[in-house]
Order: sequence, then C-alpha cells, then structure tokens
Amino acid sequence: MAEKGKMNIERLGGVARLREENEKVEHTRSSGQVDKQKVSGDYEALNKRLKTLPDQLSYDIMVPFGPLAFIPGKLVHTNEVTALLGDNWFAKCSAKQAQKVVDHRMKYVKHELEDLSKTMKNFEARVGLAKDLETISSSKGDYVDIREDTGNSDTPVTKGKQRIAHKPNSMPKMDAVLDLKEENEGESGDGGSRNGTLTEEELLSDNADMNGEDTSSMSSEEEKEGDASPPVNGLKPGWTARPHSKAPPSADRKAGEDDEEEQEEGSCLPTIFFSHTIEPKKVRINTGKNTMLKFSERKEQKEHSKRKKKNGHSHHELHKITTPVDIYRLFVDVKNGEPVPRKSILKSRSRENSVCSDTSESSAADFEERRVIGRSFSHDEATHSDTSDGITEEDSPTAVPLHPASRFEAFSGTVVEKDPMPSAIPHLTIALPALPTIPERKQEEVASDVPPPHQAPKRVSKFKAARLQQV
Amino acid sequence: MAEAIQKKLKAEVEKYAQMQKDVSKSMSARQKLETQLTENNIVKEELDLLDSTNTVYKLIGPVLVKQDLDEAKATVTKRLEYINGEIQRYETVLKDMEKKSEQHREVLSSLQQEFQRAQGLAVGKV
Repeated sequence: MAEKGKMNIERLGGVARLREENEKVEHTRSSGQVDKQKVSGDYEALNKRLKTLPDQLSYDIMVPFGPLAFIPGKLVHTNEVTALLGDNWFAKCSAKQAQKVVDHRMKYVKHELEDLSKTMKNFEARVGLAKDLETISSSKGDYVDIREDTGNSDTPVTKGKQRIAHKPNSMPKMDAVLDLKEENEGESGDGGSRNGTLTEEELLSDNADMNGEDTSSMSSEEEKEGDASPPVNGLKPGWTARPHSKAPPSADRKAGEDDEEEQEEGSCLPTIFFSHTIEPKKVRINTGKNTMLKFSERKEQKEHSKRKKKNGHSHHELHKITTPVDIYRLFVDVKNGEPVPRKSILKSRSRENSVCSDTSESSAADFEERRVIGRSFSHDEATHSDTSDGITEEDSPTAVPLHPASRFEAFSGTVVEKDPMPSAIPHLTIALPALPTIPERKQEEVASDVPPPHQAPKRVSKFKAARLQQV
Repeated sequence: MAEAIQKKLKAEVEKYAQMQKDVSKSMSARQKLETQLTENNIVKEELDLLDSTNTVYKLIGPVLVKQDLDEAKATVTKRLEYINGEIQRYETVLKDMEKKSEQHREVLSSLQQEFQRAQGLAVGKV
C-alpha cells in the first residue's frame, strides 16, 4: 500500500508538471492571440484613416518636432501614400491602392489568428486530459485507475526472467515452471504483472487443486475441442493462452486471453472475474510427412494422476507444458532414480514416456489428421508443398487449422482437433497466413506418402519414433 | 577509477551541451529564414498588384532608394529563391546535428552507466 501511495505521489508530481507546462503554453498562445488581435485592430484604424485622408487636399496638423515638441504644419498630397510592402520595400501609391495593401495584410493576419485558435482548441483538449489525470492520480475523481500492485516482487518465487534458455542437456529449473496460472490469477492483472508473488509452495500446492481444471489457458482451446467447429473458431488463438508462460510468475494471461483471464485487483478495487469451462485439450501435431503426433490432455491428465501417485508434485509440473523448457523436462530418462535429460528429444526413444502418441499413417483416421493444419514439428514444409494444390478438397472434417503450439510454445498450446466423424462432413479449412496450410491430401498421395517409418531419414522425429514404438 | 570516469563524463556532457547549442542556433536561424520567406512572398504579391505608375523604393539604411518596378520584382524573386536554398541547407545541417547529438547521447548514457557501476563498486569496497 505504501508503494501505491508512493506511486501516486510520483504521478502527482509528474502530472503537476504537465499542468504547468500546459499552462505555460496556453499563456504564450493566448498572448500571441492577443497580439494578433491588436494588430488587426491597428489595421482597421489604418483603413479608416486611408479612407478619409483624400477627402481634403490638405490638412492643418501639429507635426511632431523632435521628441518634445510639435509644430503646426500642413499635410499635403493626401492621396499619395508610401506603403511598406515588407522586407524594406516601399511603394508609392494612391490611398486606394494603399488600402488594398492593407486589406491584404488584414486577411493574412486573420488567417494566422484562425490557425492559432485552432491550435488552442486542440491544446485545450490535452489540458483537459491532464486535469483528468491529475484528479485520477489523486484519487479524487469518480473513476479510478485500475492498477495492479507489483509490489509483491519482493517475495522471491520465480525469477523475473521471461524465459530461461536451457542447454539441451541440462535439467531445466523447476521453478521456471509456470503452473498454469489458475493459482496465480489472484495476482494477475492487466498490466503484465510480474508478480513474484507465487511461492513455489503455492504453486505446488495449487497443482493438486488445479489438476482438474487445466489452466484457463487451455480453456480457450476447449471450444474448439472435438467438433467440427468452424475453422474460424479454431483460428481463435488458442495459443494466446500461452503467452502467459513467458511471464514466469503471475498470472500471465493477460493480454492474449482477454476474456479468459481471471483478474483480481487489489482487495479494495473492483474485481473482475471471468470463468470458463475447461476441457482437456487435444493436440495433433503434424510432425512430418507421415507422422502425426497426438497430444491429448486427457492422456496427460491420466498420466499425471498416475505419476502423481508415484512421484508427487514434480511430475505434475513436468507435464504441464507451457514453455519450451517443459518439453525438455518431459523427455527425460530416469536413471538412478533421477531424471536425466535426454540429449535429443528428437530421438525415438524419447517418446516412450511422453504423453504424445503417434498416429500411424496407415490408419484411415490419420488420413484426416494429416489434413489438419499444423506446422510440422520438424518444419517439414516441403512435404506440404506437394499437397498444397489440393487445398480446396475438403473431405475431412478437420476442425481448425490451428497450428500446434510448437510455434508459440510447447505442446499444450494449440488444439488441432480432429473430428473422429467420418469424412462425409464437409468442412472448411482456413489457411492461416502464417502457416503453410496443410491441404487435404488425396488418398493416393497419402498412400504414397507412407514409407515404412524405419526408412525415414536418419533424423527421425520423435513423434515418428514414438509411433514406431507404439505400433 | 570512478574519478576518471567522472571526468570523462563531464567532458562528454560539455560536448553534448555544445552540440545542443549549435542545434538550437541553427533552428533559430532557420526560423528567421522562414519568416523572411513569408514576407517576401507578400511583397511579391503586392508588387504584382502594382502597376508602373507608382514608384517603388527600397530602404537601404536611412535612405529610400528609388527602384524600378520590374527590377524590384526581379530582386524579390531572386531573394525568394535564395532564402529557399538557405532553408534547405539549414535543414541538412540540422539533421546532421541531430544525428550527432543522438550518438553523443548514447555515449553519455553508457558512460553514466559505467560511472554508476564504478561508484557502486567503490561503495562496495568501502
């Protein structure tokens, strides 16, 4: 609370200065305006004088004589006026012509005056804003600035880093795991709260609770789950769910998932709650020509519950994939009772324990999967290019061509649902601009695309390998 | 160590201040030119309105010197062109100066950081 007060004071200071500056500008502007008005008044007087001057041939006047005296005299040649044209140029002209000159000048001055007033108006808007800001910051106004307290950063939970780049063979740090935010939602706020608030204990304890509801982030995907939902839906960024993973602690999820966030303000401020249903996700990732990796949350949960009983927290966290780090965590060998990271998660045996299951190419069901859009895990775009012509064919009810989370984060991000329904259901595939769309493949192509897995190139994608093992 | 950095910092700050002054000078010169430009435009218009019946004078010092209308027109046009050219020149100069001052600013900030670090170290040592 003290911090909030401090912030307020700073803000107040800043705003006060802004007000000052604004006022200064206002002054200058208004003084400029006043000057211009004086000038135009002068010109009016001049105009009148020029009009009346040629009425008489000559006038009797008192001529100023030096600084202190006047002398009586006559004003002659009343029609001849030497007018200043500007820039030290003079012209001798008749009174009427001089009048024309004066008119021109008047026009010019009025023009300038209008410009000034316009800028003044614009400026006033800004001044109004500054005033509002001041009232807000001093909390006197009717509306309150929704702000998130970031003062909790003193509790060291997770480091403030967004991502930790781990060497492939090193064990990623556990604390980097962002256990889906649910817990964190308490602290989350809009503005990118980097709350270190969550202690690891909290995370771990919440794990148990949150096991059932798989992170709200997933919730975004849930909608696309399972049915032949229109592709548009699918397009809805399920992956927006993932940005949170970057921000270690806290509740991430802010910007990306607008509706799917749960936010909680400081206790004194109004709170906004969102709730969403959570369904387990399924992800299919096209990992190459012939492979499709199925990542199912249900499966994951099962394994979670299985392993949890065995291993307790750690595995649970392990299987929550929110950052690329988590992938490495997944693919570990258990040696001597300790998980040792594998050298390469692309190796086939990496997939033994993974929660991803491969679908074999030969199965008819997989055929449809292949239609699913997803960036191949190995970025095997060449394979897609052949089939890219077949885009318009829409036999399979692929739901959404969401590309797998691999793009934005680990598995769990995207949902590519494959509808187990028969291919009779027509379905639209939407080509994401960023993705190479995986067009429908013709049956023949599919058939031809099915080489025995073992004859795949030496670099076997892990999905394939897993599939091999499972098959 | 910290003192050396401090000295460097001071030197850089002075240089930067100098640059800023130059920039502002060029800015003001440019503004003057702008006003002259508008004035000359007005004069040109007025001269066009006049016909040859009335004489045109030029104020040179305390003297009003008679000028020919056409001559005056030509002079004013030439002056206009000259002013335009000057404005262009000043613009390029201004841009260059801006760039240089940016660089300087960066150097300054890095130096400041160093200095702070050094100071921190010194404090730590003490």
